[in-house]
Amino acid sequence: MTRLSGIGVSPGVAVGRAVLLTQSSLAMRFSIGENRVAEELERLHRAQERSRQQLREIRARLATGPAADLAPVFDAQLLMLDDPMLVARAAEVVRRQHVNAEWAVQRAFDELAAVFEGIEDPYLRERKGDVADIAGRLRMNLRPDQTPAPDLFRNVGEASILITDELTPSVAAQVDWQKVRGFAADAGSRTYHTAILARSLGVPAVVGLGSASVAVAPGTRVVIDGSVGEIAINPSEDELQEVVARAARRADAERTLEATGAGPARTADGVKLVIQANVELPEDVATARRCGAEGIGLYRSEFLLTTTLGGVPTEEIQYRAYRGMLEAMFPAPVTIRTFDIDDEQVAGWTPGAVARPPRGLMRSRGPMGLRATRLLLDRRDVFRAQLRALLRAAPSGRLRVMFPFISGVDELREARRVLDEARADLTRQGLAPPPVPVGIMLEIPSAAATADLLAREVDFFSIGTNDLIQYSLAVDRTDARVAHLYEPLHPAILRTLRGVIRAARRRSVPVALCGEMAADPVLLPVLVGLGLRELSMSPAAIPVAKRVLSQVNAAVMRSVVRELMCLPSVADIERRLADALAGGAEGHEEESR
Amino acid sequence: MTARTVTITNQLGMHARAAAKFVHAATAFESRVRVALGSRVMDGKSIMGILLLAAARGSVITITASGPDEAEACEILCRLVESGFEDTP
Repeated sequence: MTRLSGIGVSPGVAVGRAVLLTQSSLAMRFSIGENRVAEELERLHRAQERSRQQLREIRARLATGPAADLAPVFDAQLLMLDDPMLVARAAEVVRRQHVNAEWAVQRAFDELAAVFEGIEDPYLRERKGDVADIAGRLRMNLRPDQTPAPDLFRNVGEASILITDELTPSVAAQVDWQKVRGFAADAGSRTYHTAILARSLGVPAVVGLGSASVAVAPGTRVVIDGSVGEIAINPSEDELQEVVARAARRADAERTLEATGAGPARTADGVKLVIQANVELPEDVATARRCGAEGIGLYRSEFLLTTTLGGVPTEEIQYRAYRGMLEAMFPAPVTIRTFDIDDEQVAGWTPGAVARPPRGLMRSRGPMGLRATRLLLDRRDVFRAQLRALLRAAPSGRLRVMFPFISGVDELREARRVLDEARADLTRQGLAPPPVPVGIMLEIPSAAATADLLAREVDFFSIGTNDLIQYSLAVDRTDARVAHLYEPLHPAILRTLRGVIRAARRRSVPVALCGEMAADPVLLPVLVGLGLRELSMSPAAIPVAKRVLSQVNAAVMRSVVRELMCLPSVADIERRLADALAGGAEGHEEESR
Repeated sequence: MTARTVTITNQLGMHARAAAKFVHAATAFESRVRVALGSRVMDGKSIMGILLLAAARGSVITITASGPDEAEACEILCRLVESGFEDTP
């Protein structure tokens, strides 16, 4: 058995016999005599006519079938066929250079492809595939006698796997998707039409394999695993069973997760909560969605440093990462926290320079030193690049920008000023970024104490309880001798949370909580009682949290929390809470009986 | 010559379907149509040109028409862009 890895663009597992299709054939160059130019132009013209006819037929046939999503692609292709930059350019090449039409078409395509390659927008860059599809069709129609039978794919056996160098829309439109159970392609990416089509048809697909069409012999048994982006060629019976069993287990686990995580979170008395996910890598977005996250409540952007090989993420790399996340979550919101890093991590940080390997990123951060927004205000080059990347990505979805480690109004104003400058810069360049909500991570006690003042100048708060608790109680959790003093239920913490929530509510500023507290089944009911309605946690914790919330009575918890506020010690608070939760659970059971 | 400036409002910008609609609309007019974004100017009747402009949401483009029906061409095309290409995704 051989395994190849690519990009899984449509999840699921399919097993079948390989059917091969390779389309890219290099066009040969012939010189033609002056006297043959007219004839060559006539061939080109006829090929264009035949192509037009075929594209119209395909579009008409698609309009009603399961692949109807692809029909508009052919509208665009019909326009491309008549575009002066393709056939007219090819004709010009024939006339000027006295070469055969096949080569002229290839030449015109190569010129266009080079320009498309230069586009930043990954979606538009992928349209090169459409131009390639048209160019291939034109070449095919230049030799009408060699046209392959159009029913090639109608005659494939049951349970086939299509292996191709590139699955063009033209081919995808002809495939009998009842018989072709999955496909694998050498080229391609997540945003290509056919990847989108595969997802909507529920056909497992892996693209970007590089050399699958060379490695797989026709008729070989192939397993496509679109969930992990792998194909297995010629597996033994045992290997086959193992691959299929593993996939089945994964599918079961995901279904269970989805079943619990799906739908909005509601308490037993019908209060709705918004549950979002904390993520560290752009790829985590898919997991977050699957686990039922209604948005990204905290993206720790500094983790981009761990994935950028040997350097600092440039504005461009950041832009692509942010944009990808915004698109993947749309229409749900994504809150991106600007870099929370310390001075060591940006030591010698000049554009293009090699950065210190960001190993142990979270550990090495000086807890009360020059870090996060303080540091970024010191290193405007780094800050500005990130804010520009964020604003450029903003049109791709619902972005919220969050500044970490803000101690008071002055720092917030200064950070906002840098953001405004970045915006003005981009506007001068004609980009006009849309308005973006700006908020702070509320994690320093001085910020909590001035929450009423900060609330006038932000669009949202997100309470970071991990640091807020450490700083409020003066407990370093990494010091084993005092770690046990880290108490989320300390009266000081409950009062601080209540104060922040009230200050925010008075100004109608949305307030979320994104610390570990949100994922703790015992503390969750307290947060509900405190009036929090927006929580963000690690994706894996979401299904459990939703289940816990469904058993919490918000009205009851409100009065329990009022009692907790009057209790003097953690032990008293814990005891009263334990009673309330035990009683609440019983009460709930009686109701449902 | 008539020229007007509009902002791209739809989510995906001048993507394939939007570009196709724009070119369809532009070719219905006799006037020559040009679309400019920054320093780049493209033929408004060429789908490749429109795609290669890579006009994302929020970008400001200038539509110029010159010919017998230039005023109407400009008006209709600007309205198409402003409507977010009639809510195509």
